[in-house]
Amino acid sequence: MDLSHFIFASIALFTIGLIGALAMRNVLIFFLSIEMMLNAANLLFVAFARQWNNEIGLVWVFFIVTIAAIEAAVGFAIIINLFREKQTVDIDQFNELKG
Amino acid sequence: MANLPQVLEWTFIFLLILSAIGVITASKPVYSSLSFLVTLISLAFLFLRLSASFISTMQILIYAGAILVIFMFVIVLFQDAHRQISILPPKSSSLFILFAMCGFVLIIALFAIKLIGLKQADPMVPEVYGSVQSLGRLLYTDFVLPFEFLVIPLLVAVVGTLYVAKKEK
Repeated sequence: MDLSHFIFASIALFTIGLIGALAMRNVLIFFLSIEMMLNAANLLFVAFARQWNNEIGLVWVFFIVTIAAIEAAVGFAIIINLFREKQTVDIDQFNELKG
Repeated sequence: MANLPQVLEWTFIFLLILSAIGVITASKPVYSSLSFLVTLISLAFLFLRLSASFISTMQILIYAGAILVIFMFVIVLFQDAHRQISILPPKSSSLFILFAMCGFVLIIALFAIKLIGLKQADPMVPEVYGSVQSLGRLLYTDFVLPFEFLVIPLLVAVVGTLYVAKKEK
């Protein structure tokens, strides 16, 4: 069973997620892009777990998905608060932490 | 001669990449979240092809069932923002973005080229591989400490979310 196309899919998904997180200015799209990058990592974990028939990779995917859910809950609370404050979804307007 | 499972795999990979591009280029957040749903379903299929049935189910349950639903709620709260997304083009031109994308893929390909000699995965897979039983056994034996420590971020998330979402007096 050849795994190279799964690695290709993972690289493509990660790249699209990175571009979405860096270039797009909507904070919601930014969030989905981060989830896409996490999913790309998951795909690679599952592919290589299959490569070596080793289930430890799958356990790591379990942890990553849990952390992603936690991150989504906290992140959404933060962006809802920011939206309340600024009334915009433009990510460039959120610059409170700028020195 | 490509057989049917391989054609299906390529179809779902194509669908995955297409819907991922759709997520970042859609005109409205609702469309991009629906596009993300397609991404998740094709990923779940790919996980199934890699004989990780439990992970595939969890992907659908947690991502599509929980995270995407929260996302939909957030979109509902962001009603006013719906109009803004069309007036938020990326700051750099799409040509630069394309260049950056190609450069990044090239960098990864430089690392990935070492994988060429990788031997083919064993087509035979143990009966219990990726099932709830074997993953659960691993979680409660070798990984019991990390598994229990997951409680801490979950607790922090609950308390932190309540604190952040609280209205200022």
